[in-house]
Amino acid sequence: MRVIADLHIHSRYSRATSQRMSIDEIARFAKIKGLNLVGTGDFTHPKWLTEIQETLVPEPNTSLYKVASKADSPVRFMLTTEVCTIFNFENEVKKVHHVILTPSVETAVQINDALKRYGDLGADGRPLLNMTAPQLVEEVMATSSENMVFPAHVWTPWFSVFGAFSGFDSIEDCYQDMAKHIHALETGLSSDPAMNWRLSRLDRFALVSNSDCHSFWPWRIGREANVFELGRMSYREVVDAVCSKDPARFKLTIETDPAYGKYHWTGHRKCNVSLSPQEAEKFGNMCPVCRRKLTKGVEPRVEELADRPTDFKPDNKPGFMRLLPLSEIIATVLGAASPSTQAVWKMYNLLVGKFGDEYTVLIDASEDALAEVADAAIADAVLRVRTGSIRVVPGYDGVYGKLDLGVAGPAEKPTRRSVQQLNLADFW
Amino acid sequence: MFKLKVSDAKLLRDMAAAIAILVDEATFKIEPEGLKLRAMDPSRVAMIDFEWPKTIFEEYVCEAPSKMCINISELLKLLKRAGKDEAVELSLDDKTGRLQIKITGKYSRNFNMPTLEASEEEVPTPKIAFNIKAKTTTQGLSQAIEDAQLVSDHVRIEADSEKLLLNASGDLMGATITLQKGSDALLDLEAKENSKATFSLSYLSEIIKAASATSDIATLEFSTDMPVRIDFQQTKEGKLTFFLAPRIETE
Repeated sequence: MRVIADLHIHSRYSRATSQRMSIDEIARFAKIKGLNLVGTGDFTHPKWLTEIQETLVPEPNTSLYKVASKADSPVRFMLTTEVCTIFNFENEVKKVHHVILTPSVETAVQINDALKRYGDLGADGRPLLNMTAPQLVEEVMATSSENMVFPAHVWTPWFSVFGAFSGFDSIEDCYQDMAKHIHALETGLSSDPAMNWRLSRLDRFALVSNSDCHSFWPWRIGREANVFELGRMSYREVVDAVCSKDPARFKLTIETDPAYGKYHWTGHRKCNVSLSPQEAEKFGNMCPVCRRKLTKGVEPRVEELADRPTDFKPDNKPGFMRLLPLSEIIATVLGAASPSTQAVWKMYNLLVGKFGDEYTVLIDASEDALAEVADAAIADAVLRVRTGSIRVVPGYDGVYGKLDLGVAGPAEKPTRRSVQQLNLADFW
Repeated sequence: MFKLKVSDAKLLRDMAAAIAILVDEATFKIEPEGLKLRAMDPSRVAMIDFEWPKTIFEEYVCEAPSKMCINISELLKLLKRAGKDEAVELSLDDKTGRLQIKITGKYSRNFNMPTLEASEEEVPTPKIAFNIKAKTTTQGLSQAIEDAQLVSDHVRIEADSEKLLLNASGDLMGATITLQKGSDALLDLEAKENSKATFSLSYLSEIIKAASATSDIATLEFSTDMPVRIDFQQTKEGKLTFFLAPRIETE
């Protein structure tokens, strides 16, 4: 069976997360999106874990859970959480985010018992733990060998294993002797598998993709996901498919265009400055407006560590597909300021109502079938996203990239700015 | 051997402050004729071109041309300890490679600081044909920049044969500042053709604020969408000039 899984989300107990982020709403929008497996997120938070226990019931013999009040829902839940470890390494403070998967509420409770010695688990859905990355893995794997830990959004400038500001140059440096338990990396929105394939040191890891969403809206949940073809949906089948990197079972990941991510290019949000790696280098990686250090983007950080050309493609690895949220596509075509406007919802509901879920619209619906429901411009835009004939103005320093359907081809320069700073080298 | 002495620490302090707004590590060219520095800020948006002939100093000794790189902010901290009319002597200890700073006045202080690896980069001067040359008082220019900063982070400078205009436009407010030729603020204006260019107010204000301590008169030269050259006429001899790259307005 096909399993589409988003294993990294957050509950309302995480900072900057929608207060309506409940199990019921997550299940409702996961179904609309087309996900049939979703992480609970935040099982380390005591109140959220209580809510999980009150609203979810085990699906027998799967180590997964379903919503007790919605027996007919196809959506299953896996117990997941994200934690932040803060520690010193060679006189530098390192802050690294990790995702933890566990097969049951019982093992989740055991993990929480171990981790509460390192930080206040009730302070945040994504708790801050005063422990090293290898300590975390050791503690988690000691409670159950079926648990899984992988580094989250590995390239974002802050809080990630390869981050430009507090990261490492290798998984082994970060996880030390516990690196043997790391089998997967989460690529994050600002990078895709092709960017990660450029590092031969990452060959042994599976590349997983999740939304890390802080709200259940369909332009957030499932914007990145993992597609499996499994004999049956169970915790062990999913984890085993990831660890094996077997493309027959772990088919592909759904990716946004990496330019859509909030940290793809180098820039400075406060000054509206977004620069390609080449332009940033020209300005000495300093903001040409305020002269503070620029936030280095994922693209130049990957370039720093890459040892292969940009078009390198490995054999026998799960593939990937680039999509963008349907709401964003509709909003762009309609010229709406936000994907949450009524006009966008109206068209979104028409399409999802016709085809069953959003992924079916984005991946499978034919041009003719789309045109029966939607304006020709929207049908055309969906097809262009599917085939990659779009342009995305790259995101930078916490600002999402922006879909631009006006001109096809790769983005050369940001168009967001009305005033652009030149440098003196332009006049030599 | 290199050594210089000034009788008034303010001269050295103001110059160090003007350099420090653009660069942290400043590589000076020490030549028998005097001291020179040409450097760009790390983002290469602005450049300083500075020269002091040896005649400006009470004492100046340079036996052979050389380069000396120092952390200018650290030097500035030490120079700020000198009071009005106190003398400052800088000398390079060839053996240790450290710069000796001696401040004498009511009492004597000896500081020393390391020199750094000198930059080998030769910074070229931008090749620009200027169409506008405007001579202003630094006070008038400084106030006009402060006015523009109230509404925006960038300013469009325009000029014709009669006036110099500063147009600033922010999200909410706008400002137009007019300096008429022959007014107290605009002493002279030459225009080969009408020109306009936009610049970062953050850079302009810092440059003008720091340089105005050394100068009463500033001469701006610019052309449409080209860098501006601002020359601050020194009260004694010497040259203090800044170049600032423009910002261009795009659709």
